Amino acid sequence: MPQGAYLRLLLFFLGPAVLVYSLFSIYPLLATIINSLYSRQNDGAYLWEGLGNFRTLLLDPTWSVPFWNALRNNFIFFLIHMCVQNPIGLLLAALLSLPRLRFRATYRTLIFMPTMLSVVVIGFVWQLILSPLWGIARMFLNFFGLGFLFAPWLGVESSALITVSLISVWQFVGIPMILIYTALLAIPDELIDAATVDGLNQFQAFVWVKLPLIWPTIGLVSILTFVNNFNAFDLIYAMKGALAGPNFSTDIMGTLFYRTFFGNQLQLGNPSMGSAIATMMLIVILTGVMVYLFLVQRRIQRYSF
Amino acid sequence: MRKPLSAFAVHAILGLYTLLALFPIVLVVMNSFKAKRAIFNTPLRPPTPSNFDPIGYARVFDDSALPFYYLNSITVTAGAIFFTLLFGAMAAWALTEYKFRFNTLLALFLSIGIMVPIRLGSVAIIQLVAELNLINTLTALILVYTAQNLPLAIFILSEFIAQIPKDLREAARCDGLTEYNIFFHIILPLIRPAMATVAVFTMIPVWNDLWFPLLLAPAGGKQTITLGVQQFLGQYITDWNAVLAALSAAIVPVLLLYVIFSRQLIRGLTSGAVK
Amino acid sequence: MAEVVIEKLSKSFGSVEVLKDIDLTVGDGAFVVLVGPSGCGKSTLLRSIAGLEDVSGGAITIGGRKVNDLAPAQREIAMVFQSYALYPHMDVAANMGFGLKFAGIPKAEIAARVSEAARILQLEPLLKRRPRELSGGQRQRVAIGRAIVRKPQVFLFDEPLSNLDAALRINTRVEIAKLHKLLAATIVYVTHDQVEAMTLADKIVVMNQGRIEQQGKPLDLYYRPANLFVAGFIGSPAMNFLKGEVVAGGTGLGADGRIAIALPPGATPGMKVTLGIRPEHMSIAVGGGDLHLAATVELVERLGETGFAHLRLASGTVVIAEIRGETGLKTGDRTHVALDPAHLHLFGADGRRLG
Ligand SMILES: Nc1ncnc2c1ncn2[C@@H]1O[C@H](COP(=O)(O)OP(=O)(O)OP(=O)(O)O)[C@@H](O)[C@H]1O
Ligand SMILES: [Mg+2]
Repeated sequence: MPQGAYLRLLLFFLGPAVLVYSLFSIYPLLATIINSLYSRQNDGAYLWEGLGNFRTLLLDPTWSVPFWNALRNNFIFFLIHMCVQNPIGLLLAALLSLPRLRFRATYRTLIFMPTMLSVVVIGFVWQLILSPLWGIARMFLNFFGLGFLFAPWLGVESSALITVSLISVWQFVGIPMILIYTALLAIPDELIDAATVDGLNQFQAFVWVKLPLIWPTIGLVSILTFVNNFNAFDLIYAMKGALAGPNFSTDIMGTLFYRTFFGNQLQLGNPSMGSAIATMMLIVILTGVMVYLFLVQRRIQRYSF
Repeated sequence: MRKPLSAFAVHAILGLYTLLALFPIVLVVMNSFKAKRAIFNTPLRPPTPSNFDPIGYARVFDDSALPFYYLNSITVTAGAIFFTLLFGAMAAWALTEYKFRFNTLLALFLSIGIMVPIRLGSVAIIQLVAELNLINTLTALILVYTAQNLPLAIFILSEFIAQIPKDLREAARCDGLTEYNIFFHIILPLIRPAMATVAVFTMIPVWNDLWFPLLLAPAGGKQTITLGVQQFLGQYITDWNAVLAALSAAIVPVLLLYVIFSRQLIRGLTSGAVK
Repeated sequence: MAEVVIEKLSKSFGSVEVLKDIDLTVGDGAFVVLVGPSGCGKSTLLRSIAGLEDVSGGAITIGGRKVNDLAPAQREIAMVFQSYALYPHMDVAANMGFGLKFAGIPKAEIAARVSEAARILQLEPLLKRRPRELSGGQRQRVAIGRAIVRKPQVFLFDEPLSNLDAALRINTRVEIAKLHKLLAATIVYVTHDQVEAMTLADKIVVMNQGRIEQQGKPLDLYYRPANLFVAGFIGSPAMNFLKGEVVAGGTGLGADGRIAIALPPGATPGMKVTLGIRPEHMSIAVGGGDLHLAATVELVERLGETGFAHLRLASGTVVIAEIRGETGLKTGDRTHVALDPAHLHLFGADGRRLG
């Protein structure tokens, strides 16, 4: 093929994707990082700050207190997902993949349902259910004789973050479930038969044969959880607004970034500091991804059957 | 054969969890049809002729542009899926088929977006969209979502295209098809199942996203249904009938579609799962 | 080693009955091969013996012990799977010792048994490898090794050679035969391969649609098939069948004329029968005769010294006859085919052998 025609060919096939992707994904990411190195003056001019914005963010108490608070909350948010969402997902997947289970498709479809809905909708639904005004939650606790446990969890500083996290867990449990379920289905039946002949019961076969074979999937689920959690925003914004109340107890990186960039009742919008926060999020996420790629994933053996 | 987990226990666990997953949804949809008094006094009862009251729905569809928001969401989602699939398949084809000089490097470049969320570039995206005069347009959303979904689409589609036997393309070349025709008439039809998977991966997050509609098209009647419902809820927060009806209006169509297509959808999700 | 006795065994999946009324005795140290068309229930029978399927009725006894309600691990069986089912995340030694570990056998004993099995199977250099680092034949030997270390009463094989190439298959077949002698093992073996069945088996069990059609020594099945199904199933190429009816002193074959054969008792004139004869018992003949049929050559396949001629008879039936050496036959030739009277099989209208 003549050189020119070949180039035209490549341009035709690759051009659109590369253009859209570079313009709306890579360029904004780079520009955000660069933005974070400048500050905007009152007259609209930009001033080179170097790492000044980051110093402010990490050390100046006006900024650092909310920042560390959001980062800490975000880690709690992530840990709750890791410790609740993924084990439940694993359990459901293990049960769903049992041989000769009746109503398998029905369970799978119904349990996955909340995952399909928008976070905004889910946030509101739970807000209503937990609302003392409607009293559904209280009614349930009363039924089990536990009425005294009831509190407006979402409105109390000590429990708001956990509550929000659990709601998110409730919504997204379908994702680890489906991913792990698929991995379990890929394990040949004969392997489990062999384990049975070797004298393992169902539980032992799961622990000693299936689990080692699905570690790669569990690793993948974990890193997906990490990236999604440090990228979260919608649920808290929908339930608690940009101020992530009460008293910033549900503030995570996403809401802090939004508030800083757009401003709110308490402060003016600040694009440079917003960019600095976004850059920090980028660093956190990339660190997580690197840890996964270089430390975790390399140790996990992948098997083909 | 001894069974450590009785079938009963398995069904009990799965059944309870299913109830937990469904209960909030059913509760909201059920109460959206009831009069205010019944919502509060007997929240767990299904609607009956005696307590039936569609006032919430009347308010939702009178006071707001919800139907238009549906249309916006459909446009944005369909547009994003279309361009993601088209551009993604084209790029995946070129990357797998033609061994040019910066092939690997370009593939690496395109895969950055799989792990790095595009949201982090929001500050610059807003500035860019403003400069392009695209604020409060659906075009901006379609472009951003296309950029967001392209990396994974290219990744999945490349794997599929690589599996198509080389002989097939060679045979087509011998038949005198141009490279363009090979792609549009041979490759595209063959990778349809993979495209369905990608469509699923694209559709759900795009339809449900709040972030970019909030940033890029928060007003001017260009809100998506997710944002529209969020704004409506904020406005009518004390009107329980309206709130429940708005939530149901956001839930029911999605779930209906989901139940109809759940088999294909789950198959798509499971086949696309990275092993 | 032990005897396996299966009595009145039945098995249903839902409303589908896949095993019906199976009676089978596998003698102590015997090598029994199950054959039959795909889907006839061979694997299901084997898995029922292993305890991987719950049976719907009947009894399975291994070494005098009724095992119906025992878990697979307690039945003292070992199974070799078609796909080998090696644990991909364990090396060869761990794969072989895995079951023993769960049986609570001491480490030293496990190591001893594993190295003993490895020696027998020449796996010693491979003990530290993972399954994916092995060739098909080596995997297959590991799978057998995993069975040996259990020191089972009965070995169960489900098409163990079907994933190997032709040369390796012959090799491994010989190995399995040797192993059978060496271990004096009781073996139940499923295969699709006629040669495997004929060469390995002490007893062949022919199954069809969940039933046993016939069981017996390989040559008995070959020379005296009990019914049309077994006659057609055992032997390759398959036995030729000619439809006809009993006439005085022989069998009338419609357009193909009439052949004179000694009729078995119970064959009364007018009875509809099927005459069966294997390709190797037919030969090309010159001229007519009592057991000669006129035929037109449709196709000649030469495999070397021997070959097969596809012949169309006057009735339109196509039969296959074995040929040897240079016959000079070619498509379209008119010739005669002679039937060997010592090897004619006669089946009644119900498909059963007459006489
Ligand atoms: N778990 C199951 N549920 C329902 N039907 C089954 C199940 N397992 C097997 N069957 C049916 O039982 C019948 C016998 O199956 P089996 O696997 O024993 O056949 P087979 O003789 O081993 O065939 P092949 O030679 O192809 O391996 C088949 O019709 C099959 O469809
Ligand atoms: Mg089988």
